[in-house]
Formats: sequence, C-alpha cells, structure tokens
Amino acid sequence: MSRTIKIDPITRLEGHGKIDIHLDDRGAVEDCFFQIPELRGFERFVVGRPIEELPRIVTRICGVCPASHHMASAKAVDGCFGGEVPPVAHKLREMYYQAHFIHSHIAHFYALAAPDFVCGPDADPAVRNILGVVAKVGLGIGGQVIKARALAQDMQRIIGGRSTHPVWCLPGGVSKGLSKAELAEIKPMVAELSKFTDFSLKLFKDVVLGNPAYVELILKGPYTLDVHNMGLVDTNNAPNFYDGQVRVVDFQGKEVCKYEAADYQKYVAEHVESWTYLKFPYLKQRGWKGFREGVDTSIYCATPLARLNVADRMATPRAQAAFEEMFRTLGGHPCKALLANHWARLVEMVQNAETLERFCADPEITSDKYRVVPERITGEGIGIVEAMRGTLTHHYSCDDKGICTSANLIVGTTNNNAPIQMVTKKVAQSLIKPGKEPDQGILNMVEMAFRAFDPCYSCATHSLPGQMPMEIQIWQGGEVRRRFAR
Amino acid sequence: MKTLLLGMGNPILSDDAVGLRLAADIGQRLAGFPDLTVQSDCSVGGLELLDVLSGYARVVVFDSIQTVGGLPGQWHGFDATALCDTMHLTNVHDANFATALELGRRLGMPLPEPSAIHIFGVEVTDTSTFSERMTPALEACFPALADAIFAETCRLMLGTLPGFPLQRASPP
Repeated sequence: MSRTIKIDPITRLEGHGKIDIHLDDRGAVEDCFFQIPELRGFERFVVGRPIEELPRIVTRICGVCPASHHMASAKAVDGCFGGEVPPVAHKLREMYYQAHFIHSHIAHFYALAAPDFVCGPDADPAVRNILGVVAKVGLGIGGQVIKARALAQDMQRIIGGRSTHPVWCLPGGVSKGLSKAELAEIKPMVAELSKFTDFSLKLFKDVVLGNPAYVELILKGPYTLDVHNMGLVDTNNAPNFYDGQVRVVDFQGKEVCKYEAADYQKYVAEHVESWTYLKFPYLKQRGWKGFREGVDTSIYCATPLARLNVADRMATPRAQAAFEEMFRTLGGHPCKALLANHWARLVEMVQNAETLERFCADPEITSDKYRVVPERITGEGIGIVEAMRGTLTHHYSCDDKGICTSANLIVGTTNNNAPIQMVTKKVAQSLIKPGKEPDQGILNMVEMAFRAFDPCYSCATHSLPGQMPMEIQIWQGGEVRRRFAR
Repeated sequence: MKTLLLGMGNPILSDDAVGLRLAADIGQRLAGFPDLTVQSDCSVGGLELLDVLSGYARVVVFDSIQTVGGLPGQWHGFDATALCDTMHLTNVHDANFATALELGRRLGMPLPEPSAIHIFGVEVTDTSTFSERMTPALEACFPALADAIFAETCRLMLGTLPGFPLQRASPP
C-alpha cells in the first residue's frame, strides 16, 4: 500500500511550502513534490502605473530581498528612459548592494545554515536554531552576529536613506549622493564588517570542515546534482552582483553560453507543471528535457555556489584566496556539492566587504554627479542583478507617456525550482528506505537539501502565531498511521 | 512607560495591509499620548525586529492572522508569551520572532518583556493577491474593527486591562 509523507509548512523557509514524499508499497520513496503557492498578479498590478514608480513598488514584493528588486527594477527603468546613468550612480548603487548582500548572507548562515552543522542535522528541533548555535560557540559570537548585521543595515540607510524598502534609485541614477561626512562614518563600519567576514569564514572552517562527518556529508552525501550553473560575471569572468553578463557553465566547467541582459529571452524559457504554481526556468536553446541530470540537461542552478562555479576568479584578492582554498578542499572547480553553497556565501561576503573597501577609497564616490534626468522615453528596459538566492530579471515596457504596459519578472528562487525538486527527491530516496521510518533527523536532512538554495517564496506573506511550523504525516491504506509535529 | 505602536504587513498585498492601516488609524487617534511612538509601516521580522523593539518597555503590534475557521474581521489579542513559535512573521528570513527575542534577551539588549508585547491579530482571507484594497468583507468592517481595537488599545495603554488575556471578538 502506498503512503504519503507530508511536510507542511517548512521550517526556516520564508513563505508557505510543503513537501509531499510518496512511498511505494515497500516503503521506498517513489516520488517527491516540492510545492509552493505563488503570489498573484504582480505583473498585472503594475500595468498602467508610471514606469518610474516601479523601483519603489517592487521592493514590496519581498521584504527579504527588497534591495535586489529595487536594483533590478531601477536598471530596467533606466532602459525605458534611454539608459543614461552616470558612473558614480552605478558605483553608489553597487556599494549599497554589497552591504545588502552581507546583511542577508549573515542572516542565512547564522540563523538558517549554521544550526544544521553547529548543532547537528539530527539535533532536537527545539535547539537546532541560532540559540543552539550561540550556546555552542559562545554568547560573544551571537553579539558579533547581531552587531555585524546591524552595521550592514545601517550602511544601507546611510547610503540610500533606507535599509528596508528603499526608494532611492531613480531613472538615470539615485536621489541622493554620499557626502564626505557619510563616507567617514561608513569607513570604520566597513573595516569592522571586513573583519567579521574573515571571522565567519574561519568559523566555517573550524566548525564544519573540522568535523570529518560534515566534510563527508558535503562531498559524498546525496546533495549533488549534475546540472548547469548560472551567474553574473564581469569582463574578467569574476562574480559581479550588480551588473555584467550572464554566464552559464556546465558541471564539468565548460561554458554553455554567455549573454547580455537584453538577450535573456533567447536563452531562458519557463516550463509549467500542473502540480505547482511556480514555473521551471530552463535553457531555451536546449529545450525542456524534464527533471534530468547530465551534460545535456537544460536545467541550471543559480546560487552562490553556481556564481562561483561560473567564475574563473574572484574580483578581489582576499576573496580570491578564499575561492582557491574552497575549491581545492572540494576537489576542484566547478563543484556540484550543493551544501557547499553555505561556504560559497561566506566567500562572497569577503568579496562584498573588499568591494566596499574599494568604493570607500574611490575619490569619485562622493561626487555630486549622481543623476542624469532622463529626457526621452525609449519604451523598454531589462535589468538583471544577482539576488542573494539567484539571478533576478526585471523586464518592463511602457508607452510614450511612460506608463507601464507590461512587466515580466524571473526571480532568484524560481531559477532553482527544478534543481530543488530534483535534489529533494534524491536526498529523500537516499535516506528513506523500506523498513526504516523517517524520523526528525532524516526529515531535517531532506529539508537541508532545499535549504542549501536559501529559497525564499515569501514576498511578505505571513500569519501569526504558527504553533506548528512542521507537520509530517505518514499515510498507509488511506489512514494516517504516524504524525510528527514541531 | 515608553511604548511603541507597530503596524506590520504589506500595503500592496490585499488584507496583509490591515495591520498597517490599524496602526495608522489608532496612532493618529492617540497622537499626543506621552512616551508613545507610532511606526505604522513595519515589514521586517526576525533579527531585524530586535532593532525595532529595542529601547521600548511596551509594544503594541497590529497584524493579520489566519487561523482555522477564522472569519475576516475577527480579532485576537494576546501577548508574546503565546508565541512559542512563529511560522513566518512578515519578512523573516532568519530566526523566528520568539527565537530572535530570546537571543536579544540573552545578549542583554533592552527589550520589552514578552508579556509587555501585546499583539492584535485580525483574521484575513487574502494575503497573496497584489492590491491596494483589502477584500470587500474586511474593507466593510474596518471602521468598526478600528473602533473596537482602539478601545482595547486605550484600555491597555491606561493599564485597565490586567494581564491582557486572550480575547476573541466576532466580526464587527
């Protein structure tokens, strides 16, 4: 008799979501579906509004990565007005965005990823959280985490006026520049964040790499996929989070394609399945080939690890050293061990901090030439940035009065929808075997599969108070035989 | 007592705006109340809430809620001691509300006691459709809802609501 294991909702994952694991008569995993509801009608909601309002509206799509939407939207709107943006405006936007990346990566690593490794993947769910991490590594480190996160937030406020839901980017630039006094305020904050990113990297090495079981889990566990990698790179094929070309590299390191934002529709298409609202982006020129691994697949990951996999090098020296150490430890570049995403985030944070240092030393950064008022409407714009959890695309068009006529968004997590499906099933099949009932530890290890992607489906949906963040039901013969709740 | 009125939600996600609208409405009515700060538009959660709550002795939160069998416009009053665990309080991408509060407390941050964090949760039906208007049922009952929660907030602020026990009211 077949059974269904239901995990709904998922802990430590923004927005609603559930995993249905279907077992066959023997108790082996037959199939696995990761389903989420999609927010409705955003692309229709913005039609008819002045196009310059969109960067302010899109920040409300999601409170987790508002700056990512703000930046991608600003770039798309720039395009609708002819695309002229002064260099210092791009630098200021990029500076703001580095701080946003650090803020987000700190939250993910310490609150979401670290509990699995510091407390252990099979630890009691009641202690497998940031409190458990702090209990193990020390209260002082907890204080440093809170302080570093607040510094990154405050830096965004100083540069762009707001840390959450920014309204700073305008067509042709930004609404305020950076004064010399503000720069002086930021410099020591950057120095502190630089130390913290180095510290976080060391902590990962000490706690995770210092435990052979975790290294084994990362390198030899079921958390791997033979799919392609996607990410933005600069002209040296180093990661760039704000701008550049989109590069796709296969799991063996061979470049599949490289394109400008304006050409994204030639390279990416979206597949629809009847059992989920969320689409499945794939490489258009290869066609949809299903949820298949292999060098011929059309599925790709767009994650921190994918960004480092498509890069030939990092853009800054300390990050380069961390990049080399990471791939040396992982057995070469590229790497398909998805749990290494947690490490990749920390390497990215080092580049973020070093890029901030570079901007602080740039004499142009306090220039007052931070905006060019657009004088023409060209009607179409496409903006691509790297959101923390994947490549983010905004594509708008407007009429000759600047009123939005269409909008299309491919958000970071959507890129990873197919690989999340695939690895969740792979891990479930690996861990749940006939005759072995899944326990909390096993189910958390299934969750770890998609948590590596840092998926986010929130866009500000929420509800209170939620006494039951996780429920697992095991069905047999049409009846619930076992129920887990936490 | 230094008090914060906090509206939580998303202004363009249908019923998710109810907390923001309540905070704006009630905050306006309480203008001039001593030691009172009104933040009517808060869209953060988790660790970021520590920055928002830090320094206040009392916080009154207005938010949306969905429970099994709840009707739009019903509201619940409870305090943070009831939040053993939160599913996804607004934009939490990190720790949940209760965990963040506990972490802040252990780190010695000046945070209100859980019993001094009072939450009004209004039952909603749609928090996933982009719209600047709430669903018709909630829009229709909003004026009376705001009156009722304003009255409860006043009782709370004046200290005449001992213990602020769990309340459940019918739709106005």
